[in-house]
Formats: sequence, structure tokens, C-alpha cells
Amino acid sequence: MDLSEFEADNSVSCRLASAIPDVCKTQDCCLGIDEAGRGPVLGPMVYGICFCPVSKKEDLKNLKLADSKTLTEEQREDLFLKLDEAKSFVGWALQILSPNTISTSMLQRSKYNLNALSHDAAIGLVQFVLDSGVQLKELFVDTVGPAAKYQEKLSQRFPGVEVTVCPKADSLFPIVSAASICAKVARDHAVKSWTFPEDMGELDTNYGSGYPNDPKTKAWLLKYLDPVFGYPQFVRFSWSTAQTLLDSKAVPVHWDDDEEDGEKAAARQNNTSMLSYFKASAQQSDSRTPHRFFTERRLQSLHTL
Amino acid sequence: MTSSNCGVTTLRLDSQTERASVHLLPCEIEYDGAAEVSQFFTATIKDRKHEKTVSFRGRGLKGQEVICPQGYSGLVLREVNKPGSDQEDRNVKVSSVFQKFTYWNLETLPNSDDGIVMAMAWPDLADAVSVLHFLQ
Repeated sequence: MDLSEFEADNSVSCRLASAIPDVCKTQDCCLGIDEAGRGPVLGPMVYGICFCPVSKKEDLKNLKLADSKTLTEEQREDLFLKLDEAKSFVGWALQILSPNTISTSMLQRSKYNLNALSHDAAIGLVQFVLDSGVQLKELFVDTVGPAAKYQEKLSQRFPGVEVTVCPKADSLFPIVSAASICAKVARDHAVKSWTFPEDMGELDTNYGSGYPNDPKTKAWLLKYLDPVFGYPQFVRFSWSTAQTLLDSKAVPVHWDDDEEDGEKAAARQNNTSMLSYFKASAQQSDSRTPHRFFTERRLQSLHTL
Repeated sequence: MTSSNCGVTTLRLDSQTERASVHLLPCEIEYDGAAEVSQFFTATIKDRKHEKTVSFRGRGLKGQEVICPQGYSGLVLREVNKPGSDQEDRNVKVSSVFQKFTYWNLETLPNSDDGIVMAMAWPDLADAVSVLHFLQ
């Protein structure tokens, strides 16, 4: 699997796709959606879709696909090659959401949560396939969230397509297994060959599975914490594991949209606390209030250091 | 002068003063001191179509270069020794000089309504005002 397009800039999200098989433009097709790398605190999350003509479902079954989680890395690589060999009737596409995209989206001023991010990635991929001329009739989606709501959302978004959203779809429908294999292979490659734009020197790549409860991952996160910058962009800052470590080990950083209250925050923001009205008044300064022109620009006259 | 302490200030400007690349971030970092700026920050700045982007602590920033007003320079000062009492003079050393800096905003592109961008117009305005004052 060639990820060079993503690797050229791994700070943003990237779409990769196979060629669209001609047969998919003339025959009714089914499409499966699955994701890989939703839980880990490290690396990208990958959305994968796979599609083929409904009439070829049996051929797909003969490839002996299974849920990617029940396979070894080697088996997944083999199956991905088999899918590639079947490119006359099977197509795939991937949306790689970089960890930096995940962090900055989830920590955005107007919060963009992981579910919305995931749904948009999936919808974007289906739309891409439709725009490419694929005659889409059946859509199968694996989900961890509430299935009914998601199914309704997709049905409304893609009228004329029969949508099935259910847990464990990746082991029930071969086309979803195929999608899960594509996504997982891409995620594994991306993590393994991650090029750090930050100069990390002799980097210890023993970060384990990337799941927050993996002791190796935890140890890595402790080892590579920078007191000011926190982490390289490989880490999802929006994960509570990362945030808890930053809160306790890195220097505090305050943003103007932080939800904090109390006297301390007010003092920091240079607001006048209610309590200050009850304090003995400090010596009144006789200086005039500067004009709005200066306060808006935060300009002050300085007489001393 | 409003206070009697620190009335005298010494500013040392060595000819060999380093030119620094300066970044102004839209957040308060409770830290003063050296930091791995080039490793973590400068190395990850993306500059496409005149739009600079970077992230800090997982938050997206958009940046713009701001040039110091003509005839002015920016100085980064470092206190050589903290005075033991407020009777002593403070002594600061210019650790670097800059003619421009990168101003970063949280998620939105810096624009002409931002205080720091507007503030750069003050020296020109101040000149104009004093000329007017003189003519009158």
C-alpha cells in the first residue's frame, strides 16, 4: 500500500483510492465502511470503504475475508494483496485522519467531536464513490455508537441506497471485512513508517499498541513529554491520557476560551474580582485613563522597567 | 516618573546581537526560559498559499508575519541580575533583535482588527500628531 501522499504531509487529512473498476459504474454495487485506530492515543485514524458489484458478492466471499481484528498483521497484508488482485471488480478508498487533525478538531473553539468527525469522513468517502460514477445500491457500516441514529442519518443523506448499520458488521459482511482490512493495513503502515516532522533524534519507536492502557504506550508518553510543547503531532492531544499527563507534568497553558472560573482565573485575566471591592482601596493613582485607541491596541506608556 | 525605584535603567546592546525569529502566541504559557522552539514549533509550520498554520498543544493556529514599524526594532531583553532590593538599578541585556515576528491567532487568520496589527500603526500616527502639534 502506497501512503506517500499522506506521508508528504502527515499533519493533515488525506484521501487515497484505488482505481474505480469499470464494472462498478454499470452494475448495482454494495459498499462496506469500517474504521481502524479509533481508540489509540497515537497515530492516525483511518476510515476505509470497499465496494464491488452486488453480483460479485460470492467471489468476494471466496477470498476468505474476515474481521481485520481476528487476523494477524501478515494475514491482513496477504488479504490486501488479494483485494488488489481482484481490482477488476473491487475498489477501495481511504480517508486518513492525521492525529493533528483529530487533536485540532476535537479541541476546536466550537467542539467537533470524534463521532461527528468519523461520520463526516464516512459520508465524504461514500460521496466520493458516488461522484466517481459507482452505481451504489447497498451500504453496510460497522459502528461502535448507536446504530439506529447513524443508519437514519446515512439513509437521509443517500436516498435510494439501502443502508445497514450494525455492530460487528465487519465479521458479518465480507465487503465490510474488506473495508476493515484496507483501513487496518493503512493504519499499521502509517504508524510504522511515521516520519516525525519534529527532530526527535534517536527516537525510541517502542510505543506499543498506541492504546492508552498499554504500559509501553504510557512509558513512551512519559519519556517524550516536552514541558512546553507537550508532544510531537503524532500524539492525539485531545485524548484524556495525553491531557492528564500534560496537566501534571507540563507547564500550564491558558487560552482565552478556557472554561475556568474563580478568583485566580479572574486575577490572571486581569479582571476585577467582586472581592476586590471589599478590600481596603489601594492608593489611588492620579494618572488619567488612557484613550480607547491605546487600550484597544494594548499600548501603555512605560516610565520604568 | 511615578515611582522612585528603578529610575535608572541600563540597556546593553552588543554589536554581535543575535537576530531572533519571534512568535507571538494567542495563549499564556506559565513559563520563562529556554524551549525547544525549532524542534517542535518551527519544524511543523506549514506555509501554503500565504497561509501559515501550525498547532500548539493540539490547538490549531493561523499566522501572519508582522513587520516592525519603520525606524523601530523589536528587542528581546534578559535581566542580567535580579536586583536585591528596589533601591538597586535593574540591569537588562538585549539578547536578540528582530525586525519582524509571526503573530498567531487561534483558528482564525490574523486580520487588521487584531490589536497587535493595529498597534503597529501607532508610530506613524504619533509622528503625524507631533508634527501637527508643532505646526500649531
